Amino acid sequence: MSGYKFNIDPRPPKEEKIAEHRDFGKVMHNYKRMTNPLYLTPLYRYRKVFLSLLLVLVVAWLVSEYGDEHEQAIQHHKADSTRIADSLAKTMDRDK
Amino acid sequence: MNRYHQSEQQIFNESQIIEEAKTDPGRFGILYEKYYRQIFVFVFRRTGDEDIAGDIVSDAFLKAMVALRKFEFKGLPFSAWLFRIALNEVNMYYRKSSRERVISLDQTNIKDMIAETGEKETEENRQLVMRLLSSLSPEEMQMMELRFFEKRPFAEVGEILGITENNAKVRTYRIIDKLKKILDKTSNQ
Repeated sequence: MSGYKFNIDPRPPKEEKIAEHRDFGKVMHNYKRMTNPLYLTPLYRYRKVFLSLLLVLVVAWLVSEYGDEHEQAIQHHKADSTRIADSLAKTMDRDK
Repeated sequence: MNRYHQSEQQIFNESQIIEEAKTDPGRFGILYEKYYRQIFVFVFRRTGDEDIAGDIVSDAFLKAMVALRKFEFKGLPFSAWLFRIALNEVNMYYRKSSRERVISLDQTNIKDMIAETGEKETEENRQLVMRLLSSLSPEEMQMMELRFFEKRPFAEVGEILGITENNAKVRTYRIIDKLKKILDKTSNQ
């Protein structure tokens, strides 16, 4: 197999198709995106980076907010357990 | 005779626009509008699809804009530099996809190739030319496309392929010699 597909006497491209693709504004826009330094480009322009960063911040906030509550609940639970154990021990001592 | 498709004055005027576009990218629009159709047709002949050609041409112009600062005017037409970038984009497209390379040529191109070897134009010779073309490497094929199918001057062929004018001549005649030998061999049998 040669790897070539020969188009003998090919039709020229359609003018309306050429006009459809001709868009200097789009090229200019992509050029600015490509050449503008990252620190000068607003973060919201990079949708994926922006969303990932937002997600990380939300997770961090949730952890700090509910993580503390969880920690407090554990401490509370530990204190309760100690108190119950102490009262049980006292009762047992008294029974003796 | 001018070695390019443009006069020296046209090439010089264009160099001034290029210098302006280096500091004001909006000025590149003049060059974009001037060459868009030529580059589109150039890419379309190598892909056979308007939408693929449109995407490749957009990428080629974007790369040209980004690389414009490095462009140095050496008396060669700017179009040759654009064609070189467009050709690189076409090559990149074929490297990434598994599609067959599209080669556009006219019946007259085949006739011209047979005439160049000094042989008669017969159906058998036409078939042989097609078979020889199928056996060429992509680099050799690009040479044939630029020189024989698009009738570009050797200086421009060299500029587009990034080789010297003499090298372009040597490589082209080497392919023609190859074809001549095959045609001679078959006509003697």
